[in-house]
Amino acid sequence: MEQKFKRSFNELKNIVTMTESMFQEEGLEPNLRNVVDLATEELFVNMVTYNTESKEDILIQMLPHEHGIEVSLTDYNVERFDPRSAGSVDVGAPLDERTPGGLGLYLVLKMVDSIHYEYRNRQSKITFIVDRE
Amino acid sequence: MFEIEIVDDGIVSVDGRLDAAQAVKAQNFLDQVEGQCVLDMAKLAYVSSAGLGVLLKTHKRLMASGSGIKLINVNNHIHDIFRYSGFDKLFEIVPASD
Repeated sequence: MEQKFKRSFNELKNIVTMTESMFQEEGLEPNLRNVVDLATEELFVNMVTYNTESKEDILIQMLPHEHGIEVSLTDYNVERFDPRSAGSVDVGAPLDERTPGGLGLYLVLKMVDSIHYEYRNRQSKITFIVDRE
Repeated sequence: MFEIEIVDDGIVSVDGRLDAAQAVKAQNFLDQVEGQCVLDMAKLAYVSSAGLGVLLKTHKRLMASGSGIKLINVNNHIHDIFRYSGFDKLFEIVPASD
């Protein structure tokens, strides 16, 4: 299953609809949904927020993977950004020192089972896998 | 869908999905709250880092005046996100009973 989405947060509800369809059609474990939703949103929002020079839609592809799902997000005409190299977040810092910056990618890296990155011809493709425990 | 409102006993109730598209709505509402804030998350199905940012900003503002946010009826998935992000050390959290 694949679909392109405009570079807008308003597309998040449509991404959720796509994910719902994927889970229903493939009979995927419902307990995986929240992690898939979270990782997909955080990566999509990151592309929309930081890849501001591109006007191209973002492609999302979903495939069944063993007991779970593989999700890819591809952005076009963008600079290289490997989410695996995102700076760490001090989750033990006191309230005064906490900021929300970087938390989204931190959660993605913490919660998905694996994540891969490809960059070719100014196309940035991030693929993550969420599998049943 | 995301809704936020004050229910009868002064508790702030959130309902639906608090994602990046809904964070501004949540922030605008919580910016009006003063004093101790009890946030009932029984009907909150989902929260992303954008929603966590709203809670963090509001909690910091209220803590500066000696109050803060207490989160009640937090489901397991959302509690996991709080633990991963270290927010369980910053907020008073009452998990959902079931």
